[in-house]
Parts: sequence; structure tokens; C-alpha cells
Amino acid sequence: MFNPDMRILVVDDFSTMRKIVKNVLKQLGYSNIEEAENGAEALKKLRAKKFDFVVSDWNMPNMDGLEMLKTIRSDSELKDLPVLMVTAEAEKDKVIAAIKAGVNNYIVKPFTAETLKQKMEQIYQKLYKN
Amino acid sequence: MSDEMREIIEDFIIETQEIIDGLDEKFVELEKDRSNQALLNEIFRSVHTIKGAAGFLGFDQIVELTHATENVLKKLRDGIMEATPEIMDVILQAVDILKKLLEHVKNQDNQREDLSDIIARLTAIESGGLAEKKSEEETAGASMSEETVPSDETPQTPSDEAPHRVETPQGPLAAEPATQDRNREPQPQKESIHVEQTIRVDVERLDTVLNLVGELVLGRNRLMKITSNLESRYADDSEVLSLSETMAFLNLITSDLQMAVMRTRMQPVKKVFNKFPRMVRDLARSRNKEVELLITGEDTEVDKSVIENIADPLVHLIRNAIDHGIEAKDERIKKGKPPKGTLRLSASQEGNNIVIEVEDDGRGIDVEAVKRKALEKGLVTEDQINSVSDKEALEYIFLPGFSTAQQVSDISGRGVGMDVVKTNLANLNGVIDVITEQDRGTRFVIKLPLTLAIIQTLMVEVQGETYAIPLATVIETVKIGKDEIKTIDTQEVIQLRGEIVPILRLARLFSISDDGNKERCYIVVVNAEDKKFGIVVDRLKGQEEVVIKAVEGEIINFKDSSVIAGATITGDGKVVLIIDVAMMLQFVTASEVAYV
Repeated sequence: MFNPDMRILVVDDFSTMRKIVKNVLKQLGYSNIEEAENGAEALKKLRAKKFDFVVSDWNMPNMDGLEMLKTIRSDSELKDLPVLMVTAEAEKDKVIAAIKAGVNNYIVKPFTAETLKQKMEQIYQKLYKN
Repeated sequence: MSDEMREIIEDFIIETQEIIDGLDEKFVELEKDRSNQALLNEIFRSVHTIKGAAGFLGFDQIVELTHATENVLKKLRDGIMEATPEIMDVILQAVDILKKLLEHVKNQDNQREDLSDIIARLTAIESGGLAEKKSEEETAGASMSEETVPSDETPQTPSDEAPHRVETPQGPLAAEPATQDRNREPQPQKESIHVEQTIRVDVERLDTVLNLVGELVLGRNRLMKITSNLESRYADDSEVLSLSETMAFLNLITSDLQMAVMRTRMQPVKKVFNKFPRMVRDLARSRNKEVELLITGEDTEVDKSVIENIADPLVHLIRNAIDHGIEAKDERIKKGKPPKGTLRLSASQEGNNIVIEVEDDGRGIDVEAVKRKALEKGLVTEDQINSVSDKEALEYIFLPGFSTAQQVSDISGRGVGMDVVKTNLANLNGVIDVITEQDRGTRFVIKLPLTLAIIQTLMVEVQGETYAIPLATVIETVKIGKDEIKTIDTQEVIQLRGEIVPILRLARLFSISDDGNKERCYIVVVNAEDKKFGIVVDRLKGQEEVVIKAVEGEIINFKDSSVIAGATITGDGKVVLIIDVAMMLQFVTASEVAYV
């Protein structure tokens, strides 16, 4: 499983949501967490420092999750960055677009710590146990 | 509950409130432009965001309500249904209930609302209404869901739902052109949203800073005075020269700091204004009138305390305008006016004041009716209404007791009169004026000082003691001789250009020993709650800008310390009491004036 010290970026334009996600990650033992309000701000941070994981909402002004993901995947430095997309249950269409753009996994909100753990485990397996 | 959870919930409350506040305005905008995609998407996203967080926090009623609302909004956003006024009414209702639910969260009262009705109506809209434009995507969607995306019922099954990274679209994905069309991404926001950098600061901390700056200003004033004294005494001293230069610099910096700190507490009035479009819409609809609300200057910034206290007076004025001012469509047409009434709400800065105006193009205020009413209620005498000008008669509406249950409609009034509006504004050191023209309309002009803590004063001297009178209340000053003071019914008065103005001796009011027989003295004529009276003082000492500090503890030797608004330290280093002019009024009509 992922190193508990890994640096995670939580992206969402709603500050309460960022806190909630951060809280759930903390419950799983991750404490090295930073936040960004939208895709643009996220990319700035990703390029400035090395991050190991990104958890992102999809609907944000100033570059949404999909745009951000595409930019990450086309950036030579960032292209292998694991990205977990947070979605609402009725957004199937978004999930497809995300898969096409190269998202690692998606998780439906509201989610529990247990579910998040499983999703992250899946990403880890696919990345490192191939 | 852990501290973290508490903090998260508090954040949720604040942010959700912000979103809801923004929603009201957006809805009214939407009515003007029903197919505004960007707006519909913003509204959808707002509700969606609230649902997301509420889900995590277990606020199931909020989730239920936002979910039903979101479904309708999605159809509107995707152009499957049109945002008719009937549909908008239901959505607005849902938002109102949402507000209540948030209140329950805020108050932690564990109260629940009956959502069955609103949910039923939302669901009816969602499923009823227009037929879906494309129905074939339903089946396409189903087949796709089996392959790669799990169904709604079991979103959390671990094993087979994780899609792995794919570079190229797989078979089932490629075969979904219809789905792609229908699920077109909402247009990206055309207007770039200005993302501000903000920090949340405890108001108490800001008040501490403001207080410290206030003290700094007082100290600066002292230094300025001392420097000025030194300058005149040691004009040629190079050190004194350096001091002068440094003081000039310090003076500028302190003024800038004062301004900057004041600005931290300032927010645009739109915070208050943005709930009015909705209110006007609802009121107009319920009164069967057509009213257009035009808002200008909503970016004008005012102190937080103003934001908190200006809403009630404005609500009252707006309700009055719609209730009594603007006529019904038929009446307007008969008068040759456009059927839709116009209500103008504006805010602007004029020097050290904020000016807020509420203007309608309705029937105007009937001055004769006002006079009659005031007479009926025993607020004025027959003589008074005969001798008074129209402008002065209009001010009668601000008299306590003017509006009563008789005038109250179910929406406006409620026993709240214009006098309460005036008092509320006076608490902010503000004033209100009214201008009206029959059948043309009525305009209320409110003037408020930019900040409460710093005021311009007129320094006066009584028996060697200095007092400060807020300059905003001063109309004029006159010098009179002892024999010009007359007494009517134990109330001392003077005659000012034919007008009888009652006067109060500051010395007697404060029980300061006073020989009361000076040959000449000054009268500072002031205006308090629209009553004119004069304050008798020995000397006028000039204007000074001061920082009001509250006075703690008791003030002994004063008959009634309610007339003290606060105190300040002048440039001379003296402690000076600031007079609360409005409070002095209570002594004007009293038959006994306090004697030593």
C-alpha cells in the first residue's frame, strides 16, 4: 500500500469538502496533505513540489477536474501521477470521460474511510503489481 | 464530537449559507433570461455542492431535498425543460426549506421538517413536464453500465469496478455516440470567475486591531500638538525641525493605517442588497403588481456594523414602496405610466458618508393625508399643521406613533413604523430624508458615516470644561445675548429667524455650577431625530476629529449620564466627554430642567 508519508493534493472548490476529504485521509493514516481550490491552482502546486497522489473533485471553476487531469497526463513530469476522481453517483458520463483521459480510479461521494482505502489499494495494485 | 468534526460542520454552515445567499440572486436573474445556460449550471452546481458535503456529514434531510432539487435543475440545465415561473416557484420554495434545514443544523436543535410535500412536487416536475428529448440513450446507458460502470445500487463493490487506465476508447465506449451527444458537458463558464484570496479572521481580532489603531491616532494627535508647540517655541532648532518632518511622515502613515484598518471591516453592500431581488419579486407577485428592481452601486463598501444593521430599515422602506407606493398595473396605465413600476436601490460614497437611496415611481406620499393623520393621532396641533411647510409636514411620518395597526397590511408595517427606521439609522449615526411628488414617486435618502468609531466633533467649553458635540448633528451656531432667551412653560427658548427653538444649558444638565447669568453665550443648534434644539455653551473651540472610546464605570456628578456617548482624548491630552445629542432630547420637553 502507499507510503503513509506520501504527499497528497486534495482539489475541490468547496472548502468544507476539502476538509472532509482531508479528514478521511487522516483517518487512514495520511497526514501530508495539501489543498487546492481548482485545476489551475492544483497544477501550480503540482509543478512546484513533488506530489505522490491527487484526489480531485470534478466540477470547479478555473479549470475543472477533467481539464486538470488531461494536463497532468500530457505533462512529462506529472504524467504518471495517480489521480483519484471524486464523483456523485449520477455522473456516469463523467466517469467515462475521466477513464478516457486516464484517471486511475473514481470514488462516489459520500464515501467512508473504508471505501477510500479500498480504492487507493486498487490504484496501488494496478500501478505496482503489474 | 471531535474538534475537527465541529470545525468541519461550522465550515459547512458558513459556506452553505454563502451559497444559498448567492442562489436567491441567481434565481431572479434567471427569470429575466430563462435559458441562460451558464446561470442554470451555476445554480445546479451550487445545489450539487451542498448535497455532496451534506452527504458526508449525515444531514439526510438536506441530502434528500437537494437531491430532488438537483434532479429538476439538471433537466433545466440540459435544456430538457424550460424554467417556467411555476417551476421556479417550486424551486424557490425548496431553497426556502433548505434555509430552514440549515438553521436547524446551526442551532443543533435536531428539528426536522416535513419534506413530503416539496419532494412530491419536485419529483412531479421532474417526471411530468415535457417528454424527454432523447429516449434511446436510456438503453445505451444501461448496456454501458454493466461493462465498465457499476449501477447506482451498488456503487461500492470493490473488485470489478475499478477501471484501469486506458489510452484508447474500448469497444462499448466507442459505440455510444448518442450518449455523448446527450451528455454534452455544460459549457465552460464564459465569464472567468474572479478567485479571491481570502483569510477568515475572527471579528474580535479585527476589533482589537481597530482599537489599537484608535489609540495610536490619539497618541498621534497628542504628538502633533506637542510638536506644533515646540515649533513655535524653538523655531530655529534643527532637532525640532527633524521632529516636524518625522511627525509629518508619521501623520500620513497613521492616517493611511487608520483608513486601511477601517477597510478590513468593510464589505460591499451587495451582501445586504442581494436578498432584495428575491424579496421584491415575491412581494410584487403576492400583491399582483409588477415591479422592477434596479440596483446600482452594490460594490460600495461599508463597515460591517452597517451591513448588519441596515437590512431591517431597507426592508421596511422597500416593502412600503411596493405596498403603498407603487400602484397596480391598471391604475398606472390610467395615469399614463408604464405598467411596470420601478424601484431603485442605490449606494454610493460621498466624502465620509455612505448614501443609500430607495426610490419608487409610484403615487407619492400625500402630504395632506399625513398632516391629517398626525393631527388625528394627537402628534401635532392644528396650529402646527397650518404653519408648517410641506417638507416639514412630510417629516411627520417619522414621528413615533404615526403608523399603527390601521395602516398595517399583512406584509409591511406589523407595527413597525418609520420612526423605528429612523431610530435604527440613528444608532448607526445615520440620518434619513424623504422627498416625494404626487404621482411621480417617493425617494428616501439615507446618509451614514463611513465608520462609527471616528467622528468629527465641535469642541465647546462650559464653565472651563470642554465637551465634544458630534458635528453631524450640528446645524449652526449663533451668538446671543442673555435677554434674547425667553421662557415658555419653564422651557427656555430663543427665536431663530422666526422659529422658536428650545434650548438646554449644558451646565445645568450636567449639574455643573453655573452662574447662568453670562451676558453673552453661544447656542449650538443641533438636530436630533429631526427635532431642533439649541445647546447653550460658553465658548466654541473649533472642530476636531476624534476617536470615540466607550466610557466604562460610572460617571459621577452627572445627573443623567445617558447623555454621554463616549469620551476621547484630544490633542491637548485632555479627556473630553462626547455628548449624545439624541439623548438630550428627553430633557427638552420636560417641564423641569435639572438644576444644580
